[in-house]
Amino acid sequence: MTAAPPTRSAAARLLPMIAGRIASSLLTLFLVSVVIFVASSLLPGDAAQELLGQSATPAQIAALRHEMGLDQPGPVRFVHWLGALLHGDPGVSFVANMPVSDIIANRLPNSLLLAAITALISIVLALTIGIASAINRGGRIDSALNIATLSLVAIPEFLIATLAVLAFSVKLLWLPSISLVTPETGWAETLRALALPVLSLTCVVVAQMARMTRAAVADQLDRPYVEMARLKGVPFGRIVLFHVMPNAIGPVINAMALSLSYLMGGALVVETIFNYPGLASLMVNAVTSRDMPLLQSCAMIFCATYLALMLVADIVAILANPRLRA
Amino acid sequence: MTARGILSRRELLGAGVAGVGLMALGGCGPSPQRRPAAASSGAGAIRVASMAASTKDTLDPAKGAMATDYVRHYMLYSGLTSIDDDSLRPRPALAESFDSDDRITWHFRLRRGVRFHDGAPLTSADVVHSLRRHNDPAVASKIAAIAAQFAEVRADGRYGVTIRLTGANADLPTLLAQAQFLIVKAGQDHPDGTGTGAYRLAQFEPGVRTLVVRNREYWIPGRPHLEQVELIAIPDETSRVNALLSGDVHAIHAINPHSLPRIEASGTCEAVVTPSSLYTNLIMRQDHLPTSSPDFVQAVKHMLDRPLINRALFRNTAMLGNDQPVAPVMPYFNRELPQTVLDLDRARWHVRRGGLNGLRLPLYCSPAATGSVDMASILQEYGSQVGLEFAVNRVPADGYWSTHWMRHAMTFGNNNPRPTADLVFSLFFQSNAEWNESGWKNERFDRLLTEARGEADEVRRGELYGEMQRLVHDRCGIAIPVFISLCDGYDKRLKGIKPIPLGGFMGYRFAEFARWED
Amino acid sequence: MSGALAMRVRNMRLSGRIGLALVLFWLVLAVGGPALAPHPVGAFIDQEVFSGPGRTFWLGSDYLGRDVLSRVLWGSRYTVFLALGAALLAVLGGTSLALFSAIRGGWTDEILARAMDTLNSMPSKIFALVLVAAFGSSLTLLLLIAAFIYIPGNYRIARALAINLVAMDFVQVARARGEGAFHIARYEVLPNMIHPLLADTGLRFVFVVLLLSGLSFLGLGVQPPYADLGSLVRENISGLPMAAPAIIVPALAIASLTVGANLLIDALKPGGKA
Repeated sequence: MTAAPPTRSAAARLLPMIAGRIASSLLTLFLVSVVIFVASSLLPGDAAQELLGQSATPAQIAALRHEMGLDQPGPVRFVHWLGALLHGDPGVSFVANMPVSDIIANRLPNSLLLAAITALISIVLALTIGIASAINRGGRIDSALNIATLSLVAIPEFLIATLAVLAFSVKLLWLPSISLVTPETGWAETLRALALPVLSLTCVVVAQMARMTRAAVADQLDRPYVEMARLKGVPFGRIVLFHVMPNAIGPVINAMALSLSYLMGGALVVETIFNYPGLASLMVNAVTSRDMPLLQSCAMIFCATYLALMLVADIVAILANPRLRA
Repeated sequence: MTARGILSRRELLGAGVAGVGLMALGGCGPSPQRRPAAASSGAGAIRVASMAASTKDTLDPAKGAMATDYVRHYMLYSGLTSIDDDSLRPRPALAESFDSDDRITWHFRLRRGVRFHDGAPLTSADVVHSLRRHNDPAVASKIAAIAAQFAEVRADGRYGVTIRLTGANADLPTLLAQAQFLIVKAGQDHPDGTGTGAYRLAQFEPGVRTLVVRNREYWIPGRPHLEQVELIAIPDETSRVNALLSGDVHAIHAINPHSLPRIEASGTCEAVVTPSSLYTNLIMRQDHLPTSSPDFVQAVKHMLDRPLINRALFRNTAMLGNDQPVAPVMPYFNRELPQTVLDLDRARWHVRRGGLNGLRLPLYCSPAATGSVDMASILQEYGSQVGLEFAVNRVPADGYWSTHWMRHAMTFGNNNPRPTADLVFSLFFQSNAEWNESGWKNERFDRLLTEARGEADEVRRGELYGEMQRLVHDRCGIAIPVFISLCDGYDKRLKGIKPIPLGGFMGYRFAEFARWED
Repeated sequence: MSGALAMRVRNMRLSGRIGLALVLFWLVLAVGGPALAPHPVGAFIDQEVFSGPGRTFWLGSDYLGRDVLSRVLWGSRYTVFLALGAALLAVLGGTSLALFSAIRGGWTDEILARAMDTLNSMPSKIFALVLVAAFGSSLTLLLLIAAFIYIPGNYRIARALAINLVAMDFVQVARARGEGAFHIARYEVLPNMIHPLLADTGLRFVFVVLLLSGLSFLGLGVQPPYADLGSLVRENISGLPMAAPAIIVPALAIASLTVGANLLIDALKPGGKA
């Protein structure tokens, strides 16, 4: 893909790449479903046993297995599930007895909302911290920011979240300690409910992004062209924004994509502590109740998010890089 | 990539101090400011948090498996009978009277004029449907084992129901007060919340929330007192307590006793500790070696530091157990049984006599059985002092009941409060019981059990249950270190709350009694 | 060799030296700490729970009345060795696969890359939850599971480095000489990517420490009565409102260990000693 002649337009070079990536993404998604299937067939117990729990009788287990179709051999169930999925039907949850699509439709917007707000805040924050550190590299601001970001990642996230609750909810009574969002909740209330989860998640992801930004920007700032531009009298802010950033954006956007993919599946701890109905806790629920169709769909969504973010990162890197842009 | 940062010691120190300062912030108690009741509210709209919710949440009483389900079902549905708070004896509810001559065939007369939430009158058809469905494996009733006693359930006119049992059982009215036996509408294979209970269903989202509003036509005049109850679950205990303290919820279920001081110090909330017959027990299988050795069982029973378990795990809120399942708060508790105490010399003596010295044995525990992980740690510590080496194997909660519980020589079980002594004995100790946890076989015990079940004379019944407790205490491969008390937390403005030993949240029925007073 | 090492340390900036000191401190504690522990790790010795620091218990007692100092000393052993072992294994596995992938190229590369993407796209905590539920959580298994989870991340980085190197002249020359794939990987490619790989090992180390504490949140991890540092924080979380040392000490331990490791990694990066 990189061999395309530089004279062709960016779109002409991007399109085949995107097409290729989507094709290989489909392969990856298929592999994910296989891995999930194999891994979960290794788990002790099945959906029928977990649903009936401690008080299960063998007759009930047999009846429920039959109803769920668990009495068929594993590979047969997998092929059936895959066939239905190809027709757009992700199946029915064993446990909730509802279409998987309905359950996901309830939770996905919550996860996306949390991820989007956190992404917005943490990207701005990370760029600010990263660029500020890079410009002052070696100075006091740089070391202070470095220690601050490092300390943030070093604290287990359940501790950050619990501390935030103790401070802002229990002590100060400013913000709710649990995030209850319903479709009727208004915007202001939703934002208040999300404040602490966003704060906790931002602490987790911002450090890695800020450090990568700092490294990439600092690397560019040490190049001769920056010196040249300064000698020519170009204002420093202009140099950073229009000369340094486009060159640094490749590694930065890659680190950001990796960090942001964490916001969906990695929000597990935050979802648990704030009782936020998102996808990660749904997936853990699906694991512990052996709810295969639900588990598969959650895994598909996380995988697709990851792949999409990686693709976007690559596209942005190509578009932003003056040498690749042609 | 260059990084030329010089980090001064002062800065590093500063960062450390900032970190500690942040932690100290958590050290301040909650301020005594008050929040209004639920954001959505007029007076009397409260939000309640239980401990577990999942996509398994159900509106079907027969499938109810967790406290959240019981609370939800008791709000929406009513039972034929209910249990008196003080005497723990059955009394009429939807059935205005019940009687039996032989304790095999029982007659129930239904209360007239009771209506379902959709306006349909309650008749015998609804009751027959509700009771019969437990014996259908497709319903997957949690109490199919109890319902197996129903030989026949038939309507006796529009307002009468006759139940014929497979054998005499004097406890039937008590059993029918269980949450799973609540009455649903005839014809509903998947009950949708339409019941005769104190609240009507407004919204139900499995794993997220249940919203109910007051049923103004409730068949008990003057109840309930609350306009609206929102039931959610906050699985994380710390978060649950924080939500109560911050005023986001007004009642919480299942508090860790270690959180009690925080709640009491708050000034705005209070804790209610309910002694119960809930217990986590150590199972020593009688069909495995070496756990089948009576010396092994006796050694373990004498190396359980029950006061330590009570103090360290439960902050002395629990009641000491005596390796038999009838709690001091329950009817028929045998007070004459001597309490087994920590006696390491005696334990060592048993270990030596049984030739068990130096034995290494895996011990399975799981968060699925409350407190079992810490109990296993304690047992391991004392085991090392008497010459037994326990290898603690903590396994995840999911899969525990189906793959570990009762399947190794030593595992832990966890038993919810049961309304009758008969129930706990016949479910977990009878020789042929499905969940005879230790695989214990005792003919005399089995005979006494059947005799006590059909016995009408209370004094005689007490003697029979007393002897059964002694048998289990002396011979069975089960150790019950403590009976765990249930701790709930309430906003102080919520009145009318008192402990009922049947379960937390006033036996899961607090919504019927609670009032809101600002 | 040791002379060069000493030189390197001397050339390191202060933050790097602090990092090195912190990491060495925890390494020493991990090796020798349990021998220093004043009490057995599972002994219930305090009548009170969450007591503060005192003469008998230097760092107070935990939620069950056990000695915090002893538990932290043991906990550091599990955290440090598990994380170090898992990080080394992950880098060993990931880099071997990456070299194989980059040198072979073609379909081998494509399939390996897809397989690694597959594993990488799964949320690590949930994946670990599944693996622990399926296989158990003995120390060896925990080590292998943590290593397995971080192989794809290392593979991604190592492959990017190796692909660049494979395209270079000296590798092409070696190929033309008829050297075998193993020789090329071991003697031509690997020596040229060792620095970034070291830094990545450090990062994986930090990730595993945090993964372990994330797992402890789910109630998984080292078997009782032992506990890794993350589990110590988690099991004592109810002591947070009273700022009990039982939670603050292990939290600070994790923080100093990971911050130290990060500072050291920064100093190890090429150009870092400038």
